Amino acid sequence: MTKLLQASMDGVAVGSLYALIALGYTMVYGILKFINFAHSDVFMLGAWFSFAICGFLGYTTADHPVYAALVALIGSMAMCGALGFTIERLAYRPLRGAPRINVLITAIGVSLLLENVGQLNSNKFLAEYGIKFPFGTRPTSVPLLLPDQPLLSFALDSAHPNTLVNVLPVDVLVIGVAFTLMALLQYLVFGTSLGRAMRAVSYDAKTASLMGIDVDRVVSITFVIGSALAAAAGFLYGQKLQSLRQSADGLWVLLGLKAFVAAVVGGVGNVRGAMAGGLMIGLVEQFGAAYLSTNLRDLYVFSLLIVVLLFKPEGLLGKAVVEKV
Amino acid sequence: MGLLDVQGVGIAFGGLKAVQDFRLDLPKGALQGLIGPNGAGKTTLFNLLTGVYPPDTGTVKLGDRVLNGLKPHQIAQAGLARTFQNIRLFGDLTVLDNVKIACWSRGWTTTLDALLRTPRFRAEENAITTRSMELLQIFELDKRADESARFLPYGGQRRLEMARALALDPKVLLLDEPAAGMNPQEKVALRNLIRDVRDRFGLTVLLIEHDMGLVMEICERITVLDHGVVIASGTPIEIQKNPAVIEAYLGASPVADASPGAH
Repeated sequence: MTKLLQASMDGVAVGSLYALIALGYTMVYGILKFINFAHSDVFMLGAWFSFAICGFLGYTTADHPVYAALVALIGSMAMCGALGFTIERLAYRPLRGAPRINVLITAIGVSLLLENVGQLNSNKFLAEYGIKFPFGTRPTSVPLLLPDQPLLSFALDSAHPNTLVNVLPVDVLVIGVAFTLMALLQYLVFGTSLGRAMRAVSYDAKTASLMGIDVDRVVSITFVIGSALAAAAGFLYGQKLQSLRQSADGLWVLLGLKAFVAAVVGGVGNVRGAMAGGLMIGLVEQFGAAYLSTNLRDLYVFSLLIVVLLFKPEGLLGKAVVEKV
Repeated sequence: MGLLDVQGVGIAFGGLKAVQDFRLDLPKGALQGLIGPNGAGKTTLFNLLTGVYPPDTGTVKLGDRVLNGLKPHQIAQAGLARTFQNIRLFGDLTVLDNVKIACWSRGWTTTLDALLRTPRFRAEENAITTRSMELLQIFELDKRADESARFLPYGGQRRLEMARALALDPKVLLLDEPAAGMNPQEKVALRNLIRDVRDRFGLTVLLIEHDMGLVMEICERITVLDHGVVIASGTPIEIQKNPAVIEAYLGASPVADASPGAH
């Protein structure tokens, strides 16, 4: 019972992070019909930026103001938003109208570029300002910006009074921020004129432009929003798995790719599907880790992908496109 | 000089000259027809006017503003709205949202306004909704405002395309075969609707149509295209008697209801 509750909580926490990243994949796919492979690297750099902000402002695990988490979160979201805007402007927009394979290869190129930036070791100039490269050959972890005493700690099973279920502040932060952002996005897409424009561009960009919608602007905004969500996930992941010391290519980029699986499982191009897919992937991974083996956690996720692709290739909430002959 | 002034516009795809040296001077309030056999370049001309293809030669002017080089969304905002030969609604969106989309371009509120639900955002959203519902009422679609556009019957979808184009608050409305696929009753209603809308909104209308009965009845002037070249221009009576036009349609009487494109 304790295990069940702990696994569910971790699953929802990790899953909501996957969902945040998956939203970026799915929104870009919905509008431009290509998979932005650089998105997982934007997520990695989101974690990197939050680390850099902590270094620059001198926040450490032991010494930081109460609002430090908020500063790091919003700061890295803003920086990644700018990064996403730049990537789209410089790498993808010149290829608008080019065959899709060209854009895809460019995305892989951008991805490799960012991944290698993330693996840099150090830089004298930046180090003077306290900014270090955390994911290089000697990875370090992001400073914990929240108290690490559990908010709530209880035993479910009277036979094992020492097996406690712990609700840590970081879990509350992760789930709270992730769900708030998802609710905001849901409102933005389905309740505002910008969201209407996004849905129209996604349905038929050419007609949308003839109805007075500036398609380039909508695409830019989509990239900014998607990248900012990935940055939030990057920062939160760093806080949640604070003991994590992994290189960029070893872990961070793989996490981003798992979020891509979440987008596909939910139905790529579908905003609600990405949220559902993310939660599902998170739960499957954490339950597998808790009940089967921790070492095989990637296996569960990718097996789920294969099963979904076999039986419902359009994804759980996706729409099957019937090719007319 | 007219409201829409088209001078010597042309475009070639590879070696094919789809439209050559097209001239048109449309005064404000005009209701002009554009006819011609299939493949004559009528829809290509609409694409040239609305910026889908940049013309190789010539200029398009709306009032005093030169439209050449503008992007499609800028041309649409400048006041040139169109419908499509093959219906191109946003099928997944509701009927109301389809119309509201076209109102968006004139909005001043930012994303931040929307997220914070500032009074400015709410006021504008309300204004857009009210205006969109008024338009839907004119086209008798208000009762189905919340349905997905693709569930509308065919005639309803054609009317929704016109409502959506009008939401842009255009000066000139380009209608690409609005009567295609309609039954006789729907055509009669459409005929009245086009006139009514022109008068009510002070529009200038350029109409592509294969239904000669409709064209001859509502258009004040008609231009005939064949192989990308204007072969005749004049009042409906003049056009009906024009030998070049009769020849272009291979002798088929242009007043007959049969498909004039049959070779």
